[in-house]
Amino acid sequence: MYTELNSILNTTPDSFTQGEFVLLSDRQSDASFLIHHFLSLYLRARCKVCFVGLVQSFNHYSAISQRLGVSLTQAKEKGQLVFLEGQKESLSVLIPQENDTGSQAMDFLRDPSVGLKSLYEFVRSAVSSNAVLDFSHYCRAIVCSQLQGNVVMLVRCDGEGEEDEGDDEGSERLMKGLTHQCSLTLHVQGLPTGYCRDIHGQVEVCWRRRRGDGQYTQKKLFQYKVHDKGASFFAPGTSSAVL
Amino acid sequence: MLPELLQGVDTGGLLVIQDSASYSGRHLLQSFINAALNREEAVHVLGFEVSEEELKDGLRGSPVQRLHFHNAYTDPLGWTDHPAFTVHQFCLGELTRLVKQTSHSKPAILVIDSLSWILRHVSTPDVCRTLQQLRKGGAVRSIIGLLHADMHQRGTVGSVCHSATSVITVEPAMRGDEAVAKITKRSKSGKVIQDEEIFRIKDDLTVLVQSKSSKGAKKADSEEQETDPTANLTFNLRLSDTEREAKQKLALPFVFSKAKKTALLHSGPGSGRIHYEPDANDDYDQEDPDDDLDV
Repeated sequence: MYTELNSILNTTPDSFTQGEFVLLSDRQSDASFLIHHFLSLYLRARCKVCFVGLVQSFNHYSAISQRLGVSLTQAKEKGQLVFLEGQKESLSVLIPQENDTGSQAMDFLRDPSVGLKSLYEFVRSAVSSNAVLDFSHYCRAIVCSQLQGNVVMLVRCDGEGEEDEGDDEGSERLMKGLTHQCSLTLHVQGLPTGYCRDIHGQVEVCWRRRRGDGQYTQKKLFQYKVHDKGASFFAPGTSSAVL
Repeated sequence: MLPELLQGVDTGGLLVIQDSASYSGRHLLQSFINAALNREEAVHVLGFEVSEEELKDGLRGSPVQRLHFHNAYTDPLGWTDHPAFTVHQFCLGELTRLVKQTSHSKPAILVIDSLSWILRHVSTPDVCRTLQQLRKGGAVRSIIGLLHADMHQRGTVGSVCHSATSVITVEPAMRGDEAVAKITKRSKSGKVIQDEEIFRIKDDLTVLVQSKSSKGAKKADSEEQETDPTANLTFNLRLSDTEREAKQKLALPFVFSKAKKTALLHSGPGSGRIHYEPDANDDYDQEDPDDDLDV
């Protein structure tokens, strides 16, 4: 996990908002470095994590997490992590666990009648953005609202973001639909001025649905640089290469 | 106009609050719910997008005894054995039964959160028809629906808004806690009134209209803000009235007026004339090559 991002999001492994739906998105960039942050954050917080990996193999995430100081293999063996690999046909065996009251768990994993398998199959077969929106709605209803767990989802946007008039299946519509559902978005983009060696892009963090203290959306923009053991975040114009 | 609408939607009316990913209209929707509850009206909420806890969390301080939340959030597609309310139950019969379950003397207000959820699963004509039937049915006094305009094609949004009696489109304003509301209201006589206001929702869910930003006012502002370029100079760029008249009278050298044309084409007495006498070798064409010119 990246300490600077933790301070931006006001999270630590010991305290973070429960019941949050976090949407990670990128446009002509790669937001997967944020996935590693959340994965290591929740594992360090000793939560049970279910990771649905449809893009890369387990080994890929394991290697990167190793550099961040978290062992995915160990977590998997302990039963803390369930990794569903989209690229292989196999599904991990779900091992029933004692109910850990302190953790935000995806309890439905342990309930054979609800069947994560059916959700997983649904995701694999879902081709329309409508189906994905339904899936994310149910994730939110079950995981966030019922179980007070968190959901983190990565969606990729292609193109310039123009409205695709006749295309209901477009990634734009999916992106907008997911944005309406989530409580926190992190949108990664390249720098508007072009490629820079020392600054890999910008992240726009948007808090929606704050409870209690005012409900207006709050947005903040940061620039970031990904390096070997993590990523650093800074206010625009304050990169160490510039100052 | 916003406070007017908050005081009550006309009987048989449909109010659509249109929002986008950049600004959520749910907060304004909660203001409408709060205003209705404070008027001692019964409010039925068809909740697809947020849970009852989340909605009621935003309505702290409101008299929620008259609020009836119909849970379409937990299982809207009927994937479990006992769904509370599914999207396929969105039809006149089911909704009338739902609203009539609670006994109230007056017809209630139906709030739909959100229409977008329903439109993703039910065809637009069916949704519009059901809304029309509900309006005329008498079981509900009026309907308020939230619509995410950026989730549908323009035709869908247009169809739903066309069947509405009032549409409020919300967008973010310059200041973080303010928003812009573009309001269109259709009265029973057929008259359409449009307005644009900047508003802020206070902690107690009352709406404070900061200013009216109608398009006319905007234009005047920009004119006033333009600086006069002839001011603060060390030389005089301004024209007096006589100077302006003289300027307008001046004939520009290369602009052809009728008088100039005739003067050029027919040279007056005393000016030079050209006599041309061709030899035997010259190829003299009597036709005037400039005849077709329309100068």
